[in-house]
Amino acid sequence: MESSSTISLNTLKKKDDAIKYSGKKIRIAAVGGSQTAINMTLFVLVAATVYGFLTFDYKSMDFLRAVSLTLGNIKTMFIEARLSHITLVEAFKELSITLGLSILTTIIAAAIALILGLLSARNLSNPKIGNVIKAVVAFIRAVPTVLWILIFAVSAGLGSVAAIIGLSFHAIGYLVKAYSETFEEIDYGVIEALKASGASWWQIVFQAVIPSSASYLMAWTFMRFEINFMVAVAMGAAAGAGGIGFDLFMAGGFYFDVREVGFITYMILGVALVLEVISTNIKNKLLY
Amino acid sequence: MALLQISRLSKEYLGGTKALTDVNFSVAEGEFVSIIGPSGAGKSTLLRCINRMVDASEGEISFDNINVSNINKKNLRLLRRRIGMIFQHYNLVNRLSVIENVLHGRLGYKSSIKGVMGVYTEEEKQRAFEILNKLGLKEQAYKRCDQLSGGQKQRVGIARALIQDPKLVLCDEPIASLDPNASKIIMDHLKNINKEMGITCIFNLHQVDVAMKYSDRIIGINNGQIKYDGPPEALSRDMIYSIYGTEAGELITD
Repeated sequence: MESSSTISLNTLKKKDDAIKYSGKKIRIAAVGGSQTAINMTLFVLVAATVYGFLTFDYKSMDFLRAVSLTLGNIKTMFIEARLSHITLVEAFKELSITLGLSILTTIIAAAIALILGLLSARNLSNPKIGNVIKAVVAFIRAVPTVLWILIFAVSAGLGSVAAIIGLSFHAIGYLVKAYSETFEEIDYGVIEALKASGASWWQIVFQAVIPSSASYLMAWTFMRFEINFMVAVAMGAAAGAGGIGFDLFMAGGFYFDVREVGFITYMILGVALVLEVISTNIKNKLLY
Repeated sequence: MALLQISRLSKEYLGGTKALTDVNFSVAEGEFVSIIGPSGAGKSTLLRCINRMVDASEGEISFDNINVSNINKKNLRLLRRRIGMIFQHYNLVNRLSVIENVLHGRLGYKSSIKGVMGVYTEEEKQRAFEILNKLGLKEQAYKRCDQLSGGQKQRVGIARALIQDPKLVLCDEPIASLDPNASKIIMDHLKNINKEMGITCIFNLHQVDVAMKYSDRIIGINNGQIKYDGPPEALSRDMIYSIYGTEAGELITD
């Protein structure tokens, strides 16, 4: 045993000697360019941050005092949370309006995005039509939801109608991309098999494509629903769409009532938590 | 008159790859034909030209006295439902049940709406169960396809092709992903279908020994051209080497 281990150690040492550095530096990364780009980006970000902090206009603000006051506010907000300007029933009613807003926009967006997603998936549709849809949808996604709502507010007036159209619009942009990529992921063989047996396009879509991707479609739709809920809260405040967001805005910006802000925040947090639990359950059930 | 008549068939893919060059042969009703040849020889392309999953560049294909080459979209559907197809990777919808996958073979016979909704007649369902029973899959009928073994999946693939009531079944490497035992079961089933139901079968095969054992006729393809067309008994070792483009003694044939 002893001798054999020494022998192997010796061979190891020998092998170690065999690896000798010769000549110039040897590159091991696959592509040199990407690493340089990442380094450059990081450097620019760090430089910009440092420059930003050095040139802030701090006025005569006492930093420590400001921090302690803010912490005090947060403490009041979350420990002494209570409603004062609206009743609990009213708050729940408003919360349900916000939820309704997000459900409605998700359903509208999902229905339209399903069709557009099928038409823009590379394996199911004419590539020209697909590319046009993808380009339009990319543009819709690039413009923030708030801007769409304000754009539609020009014709529909500031309120729930503009909020629904604007929210649906952006959600369509998001879901078309998600859906079409899901469709593109499915095995082409299945489509080929049904095509070879004489099935029509719609039959292939409903008998093979959608059953194969249903769980992912559900997961994406629910994820967008969660996003829509958050945006619907913000839109209640920003675009006067109504719902709990408007009460939050009134409590914070009009009555300066941090306790009410705290209570409403808890309510929204509660809903978000429930949605998260449901979405995790859906994914676990459907994906396996 | 032959069931399938292929004359002067050529296929050139975009970018200039020549998959098939001047292919001529005909298949009589009830024949069991194997096509052998190295990977990339054009076997899959040839098979897919027959049911127009790939459009040929030149030449004519007639199936049951119908000219396949210039057929309109509606008639193409009618043509395809009379030609079953079996794939190497089974190509089943894994999330659906076995029986649903089998019934997919009837989609070509249905109106779009009924097919979309998945409405099948009782006769079709009964027929599906008969076929599954025959292939020894009765117990698996309500299982999801991703719970089956490879051999079972391929039998579902056969059932899906059979319920089309096809005159011809095209098999693209049906046993390339299966173990020897499952391969034998599949080949025996296909031979049975050919003998009992009189369905013509055309095979792409990698296993020369399997082709020799089962087929009535072997077509050897290399580089898009037919090198051999005749009975398995007349296929010499030298011929096999010439089909695969190798020197003698370099092939695993049995």
